[in-house]
Amino acid sequence: MDYILSLLVFFPAVAAVLGFIVDRDNIKVYAITVAAIEFVISLILWMAYDPTNPGFQFTEYLPLVPAYGINYYLGVDGISLFLVVLSTFITLIGFISLTVEDNLKNMLISLLFLEMTMVGVFVALDAVLFYIFWELSLVPMLYIIGYWGSELRIYAAIKFFLYTFFGSLIMLVGMLFLAYLYYMATGTISFSIPDWHRLVLPFDYQVWLFLAFFLGMAIKVPMFPFHTWLPYAHGQAPTIGSVILAAVLLKMGTYGFVRFSLPIFPDASIALITPIAFLAIIMVIYTAMVAYAQEDMKQVIAYSSISHMGVIILGTFAMNVEGIAGSIFLMISHGIVSGALFMLVGNIYDRRHTKLLSEFGGLAKVMPKYATIFGIMVMASVGLPLTIGFVGEFLSLMGFYKISPSMTFLGGMSIILGAVYMLRLYKTTFFGPLTNEKNRNLPDLDGKELTSLIALTAVVIWLGINPNPVLKPINNSVESMLELMEKKAVTKEARELLHANTVKLEAK
Amino acid sequence: MEKYLYITLFAPLVGSLFAAMFGMKPKKLFVGIVASLLLFISFISAVILLVHVASTDEVVKAQLFDWITVGSLNIPFGFVADPVSTVMMVTVTLVSMLVHIYSIGYMEHDEGFNRFFSYLSAFVFSMLVLVMSDNFAGLFIGWEGVGLCSWLLIGFWYHKPDLSRDQNPSISPAWAANEAFIMNRIADLGMLIGLFIIYWHIGSLQYDVVFSHVNLFDISIITMMGIFLFIGAMGKSAQFPLHTWLADAMEGPTPVSALIHAATMVTAGVYLVVRSFPIYSQIPEIGLWIATLGAFVAVFAASMALVNTDLKRIIAYSTLSQLGYMFVAAGLGAYWVALFHLMTHAFFKALLFLGAGNVMHAMDDELNIFKMGGLYKVMKWTAAMMIIASLALAGIYPFAGFFSKDKILEVAFDSHHYILWFMLWVGAGMTAFYSFRLIMLVFFGEERYKKYGFHPHEAPWYMLAAMAPLALLAIVAGFFEHSFEEFVTTLLPEYHFHMEGITKVALIGLTTLIALSGIGLAVYKYSKGGFSEKWKENPIYKLLYNQYYIPQLYDKLFAQPYRELSQIAWKELDLRLVDATVDFIAGIIYATGFKSRVVQSGNLSKMLRWMVIGLLILLVLVVLYSPVR
Repeated sequence: MDYILSLLVFFPAVAAVLGFIVDRDNIKVYAITVAAIEFVISLILWMAYDPTNPGFQFTEYLPLVPAYGINYYLGVDGISLFLVVLSTFITLIGFISLTVEDNLKNMLISLLFLEMTMVGVFVALDAVLFYIFWELSLVPMLYIIGYWGSELRIYAAIKFFLYTFFGSLIMLVGMLFLAYLYYMATGTISFSIPDWHRLVLPFDYQVWLFLAFFLGMAIKVPMFPFHTWLPYAHGQAPTIGSVILAAVLLKMGTYGFVRFSLPIFPDASIALITPIAFLAIIMVIYTAMVAYAQEDMKQVIAYSSISHMGVIILGTFAMNVEGIAGSIFLMISHGIVSGALFMLVGNIYDRRHTKLLSEFGGLAKVMPKYATIFGIMVMASVGLPLTIGFVGEFLSLMGFYKISPSMTFLGGMSIILGAVYMLRLYKTTFFGPLTNEKNRNLPDLDGKELTSLIALTAVVIWLGINPNPVLKPINNSVESMLELMEKKAVTKEARELLHANTVKLEAK
Repeated sequence: MEKYLYITLFAPLVGSLFAAMFGMKPKKLFVGIVASLLLFISFISAVILLVHVASTDEVVKAQLFDWITVGSLNIPFGFVADPVSTVMMVTVTLVSMLVHIYSIGYMEHDEGFNRFFSYLSAFVFSMLVLVMSDNFAGLFIGWEGVGLCSWLLIGFWYHKPDLSRDQNPSISPAWAANEAFIMNRIADLGMLIGLFIIYWHIGSLQYDVVFSHVNLFDISIITMMGIFLFIGAMGKSAQFPLHTWLADAMEGPTPVSALIHAATMVTAGVYLVVRSFPIYSQIPEIGLWIATLGAFVAVFAASMALVNTDLKRIIAYSTLSQLGYMFVAAGLGAYWVALFHLMTHAFFKALLFLGAGNVMHAMDDELNIFKMGGLYKVMKWTAAMMIIASLALAGIYPFAGFFSKDKILEVAFDSHHYILWFMLWVGAGMTAFYSFRLIMLVFFGEERYKKYGFHPHEAPWYMLAAMAPLALLAIVAGFFEHSFEEFVTTLLPEYHFHMEGITKVALIGLTTLIALSGIGLAVYKYSKGGFSEKWKENPIYKLLYNQYYIPQLYDKLFAQPYRELSQIAWKELDLRLVDATVDFIAGIIYATGFKSRVVQSGNLSKMLRWMVIGLLILLVLVVLYSPVR
């Protein structure tokens, strides 16, 4: 148990290296086995995790460059635990549903490397380690989009890489400066994130550092107006690339906000709530409109992701347990639902080699199973209660209501506009008469596709009905984070806001 | 007793899942039978609960497990059977059971038979969650669940193509389904905000906690709660301006219209207001506003029913109008009256719709009542039951509507809201007229259907048998008024009338008079061949026939601009502005690199020259920023 996190991080990487010597014909079975073992390990981690302890668990510590405070430091808490499980789960499901034939071996090996970086980002407690995994995650994705993508793949891959890389470099400068400030305050350099959490910074430093981190995170999320790499990446990426990009890679950005921005710069975060919420509301409304205008199924879902990320940002910056826990839950649920939706689009693309909405219509008659699962995922995406999508959206908006009722109203437009573009997508694809002759004899989902989709559907319904196993650990860790923030806040406004940010009976 | 609570709730769910197992298979008769049987079980246990609650005054409560626990928020799956919810449970399960049995016949030749029962039972489950929950979040689960089932069932014949509004005012089943879902979502946002207000002030969404603390707050906060919850109610109960979806929802199979869009789901808004009476009784101004809107809708919807030629749309407008009546009662604080009208209306309106279903079957799904006429001769039973339902709807003694609707008019008069009373009074006349216009055009007069080559026939016996209990209730339900009042006012506040006996008698006389005149006018006019064709040129007729042009207006005002703005947002803003800026910056960086590449020429003398320049710049910097000066 002591080394379970190292095992989780490096098992896929070692397996990937060994994958080079595996025979071409067996590589898929091999990869699925590896991903399944990895998923089981992450489940063991969840089982062994003590939900009553809000702190970091299973920590591992090994000095790397002690003179500069750089260490091999891993750990999970309630905030990161489920993102780890999500990463391993989506990778496994993605492998099962994989239909790529061309150069399959290289793809699977890159995906296993990608899995290492994803898990690494979420369990790293050392900023340098975090940064390494964060940047390394770009490389396999660059390769996947650039090699297996469609026509504009090189442009899309380069844009994805350079844009996010640019943001992360500024974040790196912020990290170095933060370590320097830590040195000034204590006399030793440290890149340890828990150390930084305890560091009290003056307000003006906080603002500049917040902005440096913000740029790195915001491009990754992606927040308006830094979002334009995403439609290209999704539009060109193969199905598996989109699934992992939407389900996990985007969550690195929002996770970064919770892990770094909020606890390290509480005053700056609180002072900047309004402009950030403003951007988040633009994301919610504007990208929902753009999603409505799309002619390509995949782009609808790509833009819908941005819209949902807007709600996550609102929840994160609600600065109360309800909102932040809700936003973390929404990260998980959006991962599951958008992953499933991209997979579903992939299924139809495999059959028709087109994703244009105008090519479809009346599919519900030809492919009833496909239509049913798509329908469930659409409902989860619009946040119907008793599906996974409701809990996070409800809690995020509820949390932000305490900060600003009017902004919550605008952010809540997500539940209307989400239904508008999703139902339009569903209607044009599945309803109406079957007009296109090419669709008449489409086969319904096969066993392989059903396996992965039914697993996702089961999670959607299970966590929709019983979200508490996930919410409880999140809740405890978020509560202790908020206590920490209140303790270290330097400005009066921040302290007052954090103090008053719970339910109190306001009797007259 | 908890056992019965769970049986009532979960029997329909079991039925739905059972039917879903056969959802993609060809029609299986036993699917319909099993689903109906489970509904019967659910109904029986609801009745047992009702009897238990009524005889012991005990409120039955049960909790399954916690749903969401975060921060100070704790939402359990909790259910309660108190007077209000047991009345709703019995009404819902009774009508649902009869509609299920009826549907076995109605959907006989439909290839989606099994799927239909799966959706229909899922609807009943959601509706029961809605009425049985002991907290607002649970109510919201049911609220959205019935919305989903309504979407599935309106769009049940999803394969039909979109037509223009002139050919089909509802465009297509799929379109109508989406419209209903989206309209309801607009209202749901209001409702969610209502829940947020309640949570952040009270810290709980449990009814008992909320209602016992609500009087502690400032009146402005209670007002906000009341307003936002009512916005939610406006969507589900299709109150103006969110009413257009209900008439379009008639694209669904007729049993669906009977169950969802007449008897149960659309009354959820009324139920919400009745359930939240501790909030609304604190804010009579909002109550008056609700009542005014209700009275307006009562007349507004009835006026559209006057001229429509579509069998189902007429009944849909009538439903809207009756929902308006219920909101008048609820808004004026006569909660039990609203609930009573909700119940009787469920019986006779479901009956009316099921009768309409028989007519449609007989007429090969023709809906234009001007192509019918004289059907009485071939469909005596259906005609008799629809006449009973129409008499109840018109409020003629001794039918159920007389008791419940008349009470609402009395409440309006008694609370000195004479204008509201007058509107409702006019509405009552209109109701009587359009109901009997429909009866006359469908069942009596010239047999116009022969011209169009229809061969109508009576419905099979079991469909009629499924309607019979409703017909019976439409006749006798009114006589239970006092025991009903006694039972529900153990929870709901009583309403005290101040009127003298003589005023009351006069009022009843006046209302009956206008109802009879409405019926008389319709019978007289349509037995003589109806109004002249010239009426159709009248601008008022056109206005009413086109639903006051509101659907077109919404299209022009909201749908089209949204479509166009979305196009602009994507093509102009996102691609031209935001993305182009990013590419522009990237282009500049690239160009700068390209230009400055000359520096690295590899020529020794040039390199030395650059070195000297660099050294000079550094020296200048040292001089400028030197710490020792």
